[in-house]
Amino acid sequence: MFTALLKKDLLIELRSKEIVISMASFGVSVILLYSFSFNESPKTFSIFASGLLWMVFLFISVLGLHRSFSLEKEFDAIGLVLSAPVDRSLIFLSKWVSGFLFLLMAQIIIVPLFWLFLALDIPSQIGLWLLLFIMADLGIAAVGSLVAGITLRARMSEVLLPILLFPLVSPLLIAAVKSTDALMVGLPFEEWKVWGAIIFTFVIAFSVTGVLIFDYVSEE
Amino acid sequence: MNSFNSKRIPNIMAVIIIIMLGAGLKIVVDYSLTVDKEAGYLWAQKIFYYHVPSAWTAFLGYFIVMIAGVQFLRTGNRKWDQIGVASAELGTFFCLLILITGPIWGQAAWGQPWTWEPRLLTTLILFLLYVGYFMLRQFGGHYERIARNSAVLGIIAFLDVPIVYLSLKFWSADTQAHPQLGMSEQSSLVLNVFFFNLATFTLLFIYMVWYRIHILKLKQKQLELTHGL
Repeated sequence: MFTALLKKDLLIELRSKEIVISMASFGVSVILLYSFSFNESPKTFSIFASGLLWMVFLFISVLGLHRSFSLEKEFDAIGLVLSAPVDRSLIFLSKWVSGFLFLLMAQIIIVPLFWLFLALDIPSQIGLWLLLFIMADLGIAAVGSLVAGITLRARMSEVLLPILLFPLVSPLLIAAVKSTDALMVGLPFEEWKVWGAIIFTFVIAFSVTGVLIFDYVSEE
Repeated sequence: MNSFNSKRIPNIMAVIIIIMLGAGLKIVVDYSLTVDKEAGYLWAQKIFYYHVPSAWTAFLGYFIVMIAGVQFLRTGNRKWDQIGVASAELGTFFCLLILITGPIWGQAAWGQPWTWEPRLLTTLILFLLYVGYFMLRQFGGHYERIARNSAVLGIIAFLDVPIVYLSLKFWSADTQAHPQLGMSEQSSLVLNVFFFNLATFTLLFIYMVWYRIHILKLKQKQLELTHGL
């Protein structure tokens, strides 16, 4: 059932491409604004680079999550999914994985441009970078899907989502920014493993909570 | 909890709380010792007797929100939602008191009202989260949905707090400006006054939550009467 739900999300996206494209293009235009503001001194910029990068990811994930969940509202699709004999936690899992995949795809477009536009040094340790992005994206998608589920049927859900998501996700964001900082200067993993641990804890805590609690969120 | 209608116990409690608040203020201003030995015996230190009880009460409130959330999801009983809302509102009120009293002390002790320090930030993040909580309740749709979703939010907000605190602690490991709790080192006069105020605030909190639940029940009754539910 999980694969069917996930396939549904991915198929819609494959046909319309609206979520990833809008996430990526919004991200790129923010980066463009960054490069206008910081082109005086790329050296100074590299100090803030990781923080600004994760801000972009946070903004685009709100965009993607909101779109992905509001699709469910059209023709009351979520109502039909809910009336199917499906374990509700699977709905959370499918939204989590699809949200994660959309974010990762948008990042694949944004990250190279970020490095190119802002003339940053090409980093080493590609494996660790990939691992960091995957873990942090999983965390953002987990708590994001949970919050998007909560705000789905509320009025002003597009405002409520970031208002609730940003404070909740702040520990993850701090950890991701710190890890990116460490990777940019090429520190060995030993020296920033505490941040890795925080990201890991966050992902576990919110994915388990999501699976356990989403039943109540979606209940009608 | 319905005994608020009978008026007697709540009224006695209110009188006791008012007397305790007055006495507490008198003791704190005139007799209490200041705590911080490093900064000298700063008069502004006396705000500690209000700041820390506020923090304790706020966290107690948010803890009750979490418990009430779990209970509401388990039982679906409206009573738990009312307890949750009342605790969330009062928790946020005391959270605001922390955020007001903290900078007043900070201005005197640090020369600046705010630093980016784990406890301050955790409190601010928690406060913002609960602003979102009330917005969700405002815009959430029909009653059952609001009650369910805010119960879920109350639970995940409480889950988030330790992770937030931990990450901020590592984030600003070099700025431990916030005084740490060294209860055992304090003189008994400091502790007695502190615990007296802690008791006052806890009683005040219980009284306010109780009163708020009473109002929520009246509102529900009024709704039932007007709509014939």
